[in-house]
Amino acid sequence: MTAQQQSNGTTATPAESAGTRTVRFRIKRQDGPGKPVRWETFNVPVQASSAGSGSANVISCLQWIAANPKTTEGKDSTPVVFDCGCLEEVCGACTMVINGKVRQACSCLMDDYAPNDGDEVMLEPMSKFPVVRDLFVDRRRLFDTLKRVKAWVPIDGTYDLGAGPNETPDDQQDRYRLSTCMSCGCCLEACPQYTLEDDEAKWATSFAGAAVISQVQYFNDHRTGATLKKKRLDEMSKPGGVSDCGNAQNCVQVCPKEIPLTESIGKVGRAVTFHNIRKFFSGS
Amino acid sequence: MSESLLDRHHYLLRRLHSLSGIMPAGAFLISHLTTNSAILWGHANGKWDGMHGGAAEFQHEVSFIHSIPFLLLIEIFGLWIPIAFHALLGIYYARSGKSNLASYGYGGNLRYSLQRISGYIGLIFILYHVATLRWGWTFLVPGGTEWSAEFAGSTMGAIMQGSPDGFTAMGFAIACFYFLGVTLLVYHFANGLWTAAITWGLTISEAAQKRWGYVCAGLGVGLMFAGWAAIIGFAALDVDKARETEMQMIESHAATPEQADTLSTATSKEDH
Amino acid sequence: MSMPSQQQRVIVVGGGLAGLAATIRICESGLPVDLFSLVPVKRSHSVCAQGGINACNEIARQQGYSEYEHFDETVYGGDFLQHQPPVYEMAHMAPRIIDLLDRMGVPFNRTAEGQRDLRLFGGSLYKRTHFAGATTGQQLIYALDEQVRRFESEERVTKWEFWEFLRPIIGDDGRCVGIVAQDMRTMQTRAFRADAVVMATGGCGIVFGKSTNSVMCNGAAASRCYQLGARYGNGEFIQVHPTAIPGADKLRLMSESARGEGGRVWVPGMRNEDGSWGPHPDSARDPRQVPDDERYYFLEEKYPAYGNIVPRDIATREIFQVCMDGLGVGGGNMVYLDLSFKDSEELERKLGGIMEIYRKFAGEDPCEVPMKIFPGVHYSMGGLWTQYQPKDDLRGMEPDSPINMMTNIPGLYAFGEVNYQFHGANRLGANALLSCIFDGLFSGVGVVNHVRNHSGQPASGMSQSVFDSAVKAEEDKIADLTNRSGGENPYVIAKELGEEMTAASTVVKSGPRLEQALGTLGELRDRFGRISLSDGAVWTNQNLSWTRAVGDMIALADVILRGGLERRESRGSHFRTDHPERNDADFLRTTVATYDSGSGQARIEYEPVEIGLVEPRARTYGRVESEESEEKQEQTV
Repeated sequence: MTAQQQSNGTTATPAESAGTRTVRFRIKRQDGPGKPVRWETFNVPVQASSAGSGSANVISCLQWIAANPKTTEGKDSTPVVFDCGCLEEVCGACTMVINGKVRQACSCLMDDYAPNDGDEVMLEPMSKFPVVRDLFVDRRRLFDTLKRVKAWVPIDGTYDLGAGPNETPDDQQDRYRLSTCMSCGCCLEACPQYTLEDDEAKWATSFAGAAVISQVQYFNDHRTGATLKKKRLDEMSKPGGVSDCGNAQNCVQVCPKEIPLTESIGKVGRAVTFHNIRKFFSGS
Repeated sequence: MSESLLDRHHYLLRRLHSLSGIMPAGAFLISHLTTNSAILWGHANGKWDGMHGGAAEFQHEVSFIHSIPFLLLIEIFGLWIPIAFHALLGIYYARSGKSNLASYGYGGNLRYSLQRISGYIGLIFILYHVATLRWGWTFLVPGGTEWSAEFAGSTMGAIMQGSPDGFTAMGFAIACFYFLGVTLLVYHFANGLWTAAITWGLTISEAAQKRWGYVCAGLGVGLMFAGWAAIIGFAALDVDKARETEMQMIESHAATPEQADTLSTATSKEDH
Repeated sequence: MSMPSQQQRVIVVGGGLAGLAATIRICESGLPVDLFSLVPVKRSHSVCAQGGINACNEIARQQGYSEYEHFDETVYGGDFLQHQPPVYEMAHMAPRIIDLLDRMGVPFNRTAEGQRDLRLFGGSLYKRTHFAGATTGQQLIYALDEQVRRFESEERVTKWEFWEFLRPIIGDDGRCVGIVAQDMRTMQTRAFRADAVVMATGGCGIVFGKSTNSVMCNGAAASRCYQLGARYGNGEFIQVHPTAIPGADKLRLMSESARGEGGRVWVPGMRNEDGSWGPHPDSARDPRQVPDDERYYFLEEKYPAYGNIVPRDIATREIFQVCMDGLGVGGGNMVYLDLSFKDSEELERKLGGIMEIYRKFAGEDPCEVPMKIFPGVHYSMGGLWTQYQPKDDLRGMEPDSPINMMTNIPGLYAFGEVNYQFHGANRLGANALLSCIFDGLFSGVGVVNHVRNHSGQPASGMSQSVFDSAVKAEEDKIADLTNRSGGENPYVIAKELGEEMTAASTVVKSGPRLEQALGTLGELRDRFGRISLSDGAVWTNQNLSWTRAVGDMIALADVILRGGLERRESRGSHFRTDHPERNDADFLRTTVATYDSGSGQARIEYEPVEIGLVEPRARTYGRVESEESEEKQEQTV
């Protein structure tokens, strides 16, 4: 709003005097499920960043393409379909594969990825989820798996029943870190054990992945949440559970929220071990 | 919904898979490589006066193992079946993943991919190793040498060198294959031990995993040296000197008629 | 599926805090809910809320605070423009809402003893804001999302994610009996029946182009209701948040909690002989090099009592003015928000979320250097006009009344930011999360009562023709948009709309400038008639969806501009240079806009505000120069 409000005022912002550069976007496109894949390139003018305007990012460039959908060959194209929401890396929507690595498009700044004129940026949809169109994928499997592991605190309803359990600041900090998971799917995209599964019927037995395992830990760690602990650990013992983890630990490397996913996996692994030994000897 | 047997006992099988990799497979690997490395460090052992120390120490170890009663049964049930179980299930599990090292070249991911590759190649190596040395598939051995428990060192040396008379090109290839197979299997075991600790819930925090990683790496390096020592020992073995030593040992240890019999066949073969 | 069922159902449109809270409450009472959202509900804009949620708690209470104080602060902060009974009810329910969220497992920050920690927030001298790091909105919506997932797994809620709300369906008796929605993947358009529809579709920041809002907060859903006869209240009241960081695609919020936790706002300056401040010749230099006597802490100087935590409209205007006076950093539109003097471990624990955003998007560490910020469009106090049933003594609302938060269309409700209630002319920080959840939990009961007790025919039994013709109308509209071929670009129209709205109708407004903007808006409306879609696909066509929304944004922009033009006074976020004073005699009234389908313009009317509990008083927040005038005003009131 700065520059806009200013343009009616007296002073000029320093941002507007700086130059622009061209960034070439190579984008993997697909008109729908089962449709052929094609690559298109777009030249996008990018403003040199300043404190007054901030750096351009992949989103602002995709928005520019939407308004000017012409490829570098001069062919008329269509706006690139992509998913986005908050644009400040808290909603998880705009996750895609940029230059071969998964991340959020909003926090992908052109200053870092394409600092020079003519630099190229490659965009692809996530490969572990079915493509809906272009860069937009269907991540329902992730939410479906959260249902499977009962990722909630089973409260007795919204009645006025007083406060929840007290907890120490340290425990709160541990839970808080896990609670910042925005279900973006980066950890799943980077996981060699998590593979594309188009068939919804198979989701129930396909690998849950780090995001969900970490949520299991999050809810097992809450005093009321723990009332469903056994059920969650049963689920984690089944095909697709924690033992399908291959310990490549890519998840923790790519997590944009720096959630200690491998610690969650270790904790759930331990809980599952004890749970099953107990079950073996006591039957429940 | 009907579940497959694999699915119904998913967790148990996963854990047995993990367990079988450590016990007996891993434990056997430790003893096997330390035993075999005797071919090299046996020289340092002063008790084999006037003999080829490596061959003597190695023969001593082998003879001890072969004196164990019901050895074949122990091998079948204590080694081959567990390893086959570990291998088959391992292949099944490995096929559920898809390596993506090109995009995510992190250390952990490299270890993940190596674990699977080392499993595949290691399995081929084990099959070759057991088939040629234990099941007598000498057609797979360049030079055709058959390994003998009484002439453990010399026959092994001849196998690794491609002939009893010194190195051949094929022998070099076999030695390299041994080098590769042993190296990958040691890696497979050490890394498997590291991941097992996470899977079972022994190591949780990043720091703990790192500490345990040092332990596993240390064990792996130690084993690697043992394995390499054995290969170098056999590849560089003076086969004649080793055979002399083995002969001396047979004579001094009241050889049985069967032993004498094997001895003659072994020598006649080598004469050919 | 709703179509053939004889069962009564409720539709909730929007899966943010208000929509989820409503869903939970309605489900709990036994009615099945169809929940519609443009995005997976977990990704709703509520995730962007950072600072916290207000409620009186025991510690604050024993320091002299109370629910009544909270109520009074909210009304004072809103410049007395809100109806007081709903605010009273909200403030009094707040502590119980916190308890409920706590039971749901929200990881609220804790004190050493394990109690929920509190922080200071704008417009209050008491610590009464509960928080979870600096991602409180995210934590709250996740907790509600989890509860809804639980209902979903029990098949009591059906989620329709990536479905776009197109219109409410209004039956022959004037009641809302369902909606038309379109699947944004398959592009299928269809009707859904319901005995009540709750709009919980949030704000309209995208009308201003760049704002702190998420991309889907374009106000189209509210606009579609408005264009079909729902009234729109106080549209001209748009909150511009004082502290945002500019970006190429949006403005990113730097939470008020940064100031609540001690953050100080300043610019480099030189003190003149008379004690006033002038620009510093080298104001662009490294802020760490600026000595203390060359730092102009203008909020602290002007508002000694509240300092950096004055309400948002005031902080925004002060920052804006400082920059207009040439005192901004480097002479531009930027002031410092300084946390660098604070303990970095504590900052990480209490403000980690926003520190991370600043680091990632501005590339500097706020623990080391002051952040550079400027105001940005943030929240809409206005929204769909709703009713409520006050208690006889005005102290709260009748809890079971189906009237509560119902629009003028029976059976159509508005909860959360899209509801114009609670915040008057300016919202206090950390009251939004509260009002969203409060609406869902409190007025959700009224929705259930409406469904169970209304005298009309159940939606499931109504004739198909009503629904068919609604679908037909939307299909016609789609065909019309698709067939236009005048060559105008909807993205360009939206960009120009945003720029004009920001320039004319944010921090400072004036009659002539607003009229000019209305002229521009007329041109944009004409040009919109000549747009061409660049994508003709019948599968996942975001181009169509966006273009349709641009039309709705234009209708809403008219409400905002016209409301601003007619309101010839200054109140809260609405500041008119040509009418700088508050004028209670003429304008202590709610602006009510109704849509004139002939002209596409808003008809503005006014209705009285219920001020029966707290008498309006001068709103100065102890500004130094104004203490005298405040006393005078208090005498005259």
